[in-house]
Amino acid sequence: MGAFFALGLFQGAVYGLLAVGIVLVYKAKRVFNFAQGEFGGVAAFCAFGLTVALGLPYWVGVVGGLAAAVAMGLVVERVVVRPLESSSRTIMLVALVGVALFAVAVTVLAAEPVPRVMPPIVEGGTVDILGAGILPQQLILLAVLAVLAAAMAWFFKTDLGLAVLASSQDLRAAQVVGISPTAVSRLVWGLAALLGGIAGLLYAPVGIFTPGFMTFTMLVPAFAAAVLGGMTSLPGAFIGGLAIGVVQNLGIYLLGQQLAVPGAAELGVFALLMLVLLIRPQGLFGKAV
Amino acid sequence: MPLLEVSNLRAGYGSVPVLHGVDMSVEEGSNAVLLGLNGAGKSTTLMTLAGLLPATGGEILYRGRPLTGPPSARVRAGIVLVPEGRHVFPALTVRQNLRLGAWTVRRDARRVRQNLNDVHSIFPRLAERADQQAGTLSGGEQQMLAIGRGLMSSPRLLLIDEASLGLSPKLTEQVFAAVQLINQRGVTVLMVEQNAGVLAQADTAFVMQQGRITATGSGSRTLEDEAVRAAYFGS
Repeated sequence: MGAFFALGLFQGAVYGLLAVGIVLVYKAKRVFNFAQGEFGGVAAFCAFGLTVALGLPYWVGVVGGLAAAVAMGLVVERVVVRPLESSSRTIMLVALVGVALFAVAVTVLAAEPVPRVMPPIVEGGTVDILGAGILPQQLILLAVLAVLAAAMAWFFKTDLGLAVLASSQDLRAAQVVGISPTAVSRLVWGLAALLGGIAGLLYAPVGIFTPGFMTFTMLVPAFAAAVLGGMTSLPGAFIGGLAIGVVQNLGIYLLGQQLAVPGAAELGVFALLMLVLLIRPQGLFGKAV
Repeated sequence: MPLLEVSNLRAGYGSVPVLHGVDMSVEEGSNAVLLGLNGAGKSTTLMTLAGLLPATGGEILYRGRPLTGPPSARVRAGIVLVPEGRHVFPALTVRQNLRLGAWTVRRDARRVRQNLNDVHSIFPRLAERADQQAGTLSGGEQQMLAIGRGLMSSPRLLLIDEASLGLSPKLTEQVFAAVQLINQRGVTVLMVEQNAGVLAQADTAFVMQQGRITATGSGSRTLEDEAVRAAYFGS
């Protein structure tokens, strides 16, 4: 059981990393960003192309992948988000789902839809943690998640972060004090895309990856993590991500292996989510509305 | 040379014109009031000056030069709007609201500290409530915060839209007194008001009717007589 706990913790780190980006966009724009996973997908495919296909050094792949993700974030902001600024949140949400599917489709067209293996940052065998074999890449992932969640929490205490919060509370007032809504919007989407890119680059080498790997398997648990944490809390996204990963894997162990219940991982996650929403609708770290 | 010179200014919302050629001139250091009934175009005038609405015609000269550009550029130039309805950041603290007021001068830490001291000296209440969420303040306190936030960027021209709206007579008096103090410290003020009580402290009054300035007065007595009659009785 300890091994399942450890596996869950490290699996949860990638959910947490995506959730941090989801929370950033939600805090700033009150929008559910369904494109968050694909920022990572695009980054991973670009990095793979640069390093494995073209044989360039690893750091070139990392920089290129992140640059591609940020570029995608800025294009999405300009082409999709800003023209829809005054439409309903449902329309924005559907448009962002469209962005994610579009990005997946482009990846399928640009690269064959075959499984790929991305080399990790650090080569080497697994480390034994509570009986589970954990890759060095996964240790890095968890550490990066902790650092980025803390960095984003700090960001919202700075002048720039306050300006982002202020713009979400009263756009007119933000303009009145001289904050440019366009600059804030670009900053938020660029930053969210960077976070998504980091998640994709760190997670791709953990297993094999295919087009849409971030959106189709990682995004829904990441949303569950963000909601669990309270949707606006960065420590919440961190804890929520790890909790979802752990509950998924304990579900596999307790329900799946012991009781042979099918779909045990999903069952565990949704049971936890419903329980938290019943007892604490604002999430673990959210403020009551 | 006047600080602000507006000639034949036109603006509106979508295809609905509201300002049909506004002419007004505000001297540096003066305390000017724009009076008029609901729908006369007072707020529209201030929003156009602040860059929140595009002008569709006419010209605004500020310090002798044509005024254009987005709201942020105008704040940097020293034109700051205290909007109608206060528009404080409700979920941020009083301290954070004031900090954001200094957005355009945020890299000048000394100036920010100096401006914060000035704001606290004018509105001591804001110092007492520094850590309270702005949304939980009373209407009068929110108005003080909105004006205080406007002062944080060292404005040269403060545009105040209906500061007395929804305030008790006593609070209105306090807010007007604070504005007078701000003006005496060297900030040019242009206030939009429906409360004619503000005329006592103004040295210029503009009366607005249906998108035009229909009367201008100066000197407190004549001002009160003429401006009030023109604004409210239409003669």
